[in-house]
Amino acid sequence: MTAELGEHFFRREYGRLTAMIVRRVGVHHLEAVEDAVQTALVSALESWPRSSVPENPSAWLFRVAHNHFVGELRRLGRRAELAKLRVAESAELMDAEGNVPAAFLAGDVRDDLLRMLFLCCDEALPVESQLVLALKSLCGFDVREISERLFTTEANVYKRLGRARQRLRDVWLEPGELELGELASRLPAVQAIVYVLFTEGYLSSHAEGAIRRELCDEARRLATLLAEHPVSATPETFALLSLICLHGARMPARQDGSGGLLLLQEQDRSLWNQSDIEVGLSWLARSAQGAVFSRYHAEAGIAAEHCLARSFAETRWERIVESYALLERLAPSPIHTLNRAVALAEWRGPAEALALLEGLEPPSWLAGSYLWFAVLADLHGRSGHTELAALHGRTALAAAPSQAVKTALERRLR
Amino acid sequence: MPKYLCLQRALTGGQPQGERPSPAQLQEMYGKFNAWREKFKDNLVDLGGRLGNGRLALPESPPDGPFVELKELVGGYMIVAAASLDEAIAIARECPGVVRPGSGVEVIEILSQG
Repeated sequence: MTAELGEHFFRREYGRLTAMIVRRVGVHHLEAVEDAVQTALVSALESWPRSSVPENPSAWLFRVAHNHFVGELRRLGRRAELAKLRVAESAELMDAEGNVPAAFLAGDVRDDLLRMLFLCCDEALPVESQLVLALKSLCGFDVREISERLFTTEANVYKRLGRARQRLRDVWLEPGELELGELASRLPAVQAIVYVLFTEGYLSSHAEGAIRRELCDEARRLATLLAEHPVSATPETFALLSLICLHGARMPARQDGSGGLLLLQEQDRSLWNQSDIEVGLSWLARSAQGAVFSRYHAEAGIAAEHCLARSFAETRWERIVESYALLERLAPSPIHTLNRAVALAEWRGPAEALALLEGLEPPSWLAGSYLWFAVLADLHGRSGHTELAALHGRTALAAAPSQAVKTALERRLR
Repeated sequence: MPKYLCLQRALTGGQPQGERPSPAQLQEMYGKFNAWREKFKDNLVDLGGRLGNGRLALPESPPDGPFVELKELVGGYMIVAAASLDEAIAIARECPGVVRPGSGVEVIEILSQG
């Protein structure tokens, strides 16, 4: 009889198998490896429901995928590469009956996943390509699913993916060169990708909550992987994981029953996930070691203040203003100034917030977004500048990326 | 209850191999197949399997020319028990992945003695 497979079993196995086989055969074979993994998953679908799920499903899939990969190389007549692989194959992969030892499979998987994540974060690649590559090879999303999640076209995803694969073929790292120690210098890029993955999910105006949640969960899974591995367990990683947990804890309260967005002061704080908050706070505590104070520390600190406040009014806005000021120094961006202004308005009133923004020339990406004008409209409105408030309010509404954002804005600016 | 042989057939002009499903879609198909199997567990005599290459064996050695390759016609088989041909067709039709654009299922009664 069939056992229930865990949630996301096929996607998880896709990432695990890809990482495991790439480690053994070299990353220049990535595309062929992914084909073989896909084939193994389809075989499982055809065979397991008719008989039973094998005792060790991962080992079964690994064997099928590996055999398929070797078969393809043979078919293409790439004997030199096969000969090299044969050594590894006989030495460690399978026993006399062709079974993969279960212990062997369990041990290395985390290393393999981490190695694959580091490989995706090749600094020669644009961040967009790194992200697409990680979503494809590690998270098991296909091109259509990635394009839906990143709000871009399938053609664009193909392009980014093609570029990434080309790069991985060109660098031609042999399996021996994939040592985790060698790759550890890429840790900042890896953290950045996990952060981008999280914000893509958290800030996205995607209509479907489940899809956004999924990206946030993937980011949390990868950040946890980093935090629990000696190679990447640094204070910055802990702070990154902390901010993911703390922001994630507030997600259930961000939408009303019909999918509309709720403003922070409208949210039912009892819906915030207390266990996520506890986990996030404990990672934040662990992040407070060593001499480094990163942007992730500042952002986790801000998230923690919100999570700890019993109500909107009781929020320690002065602490939040301070953290945004730190963030501006660590990772200068006018969006942090804008956020500081919002917190400052709560702490010292809208006049000081307007003074902070005065003379700030927003770059075009910010000037074209609803956020900039929504904040201006709000601050002017609260200062009694009715005409300016109405003017900026109209601009903000026109730039709102979705109906949900628009509705929330209308409520706020009323 | 009479038994029926169900053969999945590629339809003429149909493209049996469409886009490759993503892992998430595979998971969904797995769930649907199990639900279908549970629903009809009393009818499913043999879940069969996919069919590979085949060739028609003839009484004499075949002349030169096109052989009848079975794989072009048949994707998989299974045996169901049902009260009538219509019921057997209904069961096969509900099986996820069997009846889809490009393929259909041929349901044939297996005649028993007596």
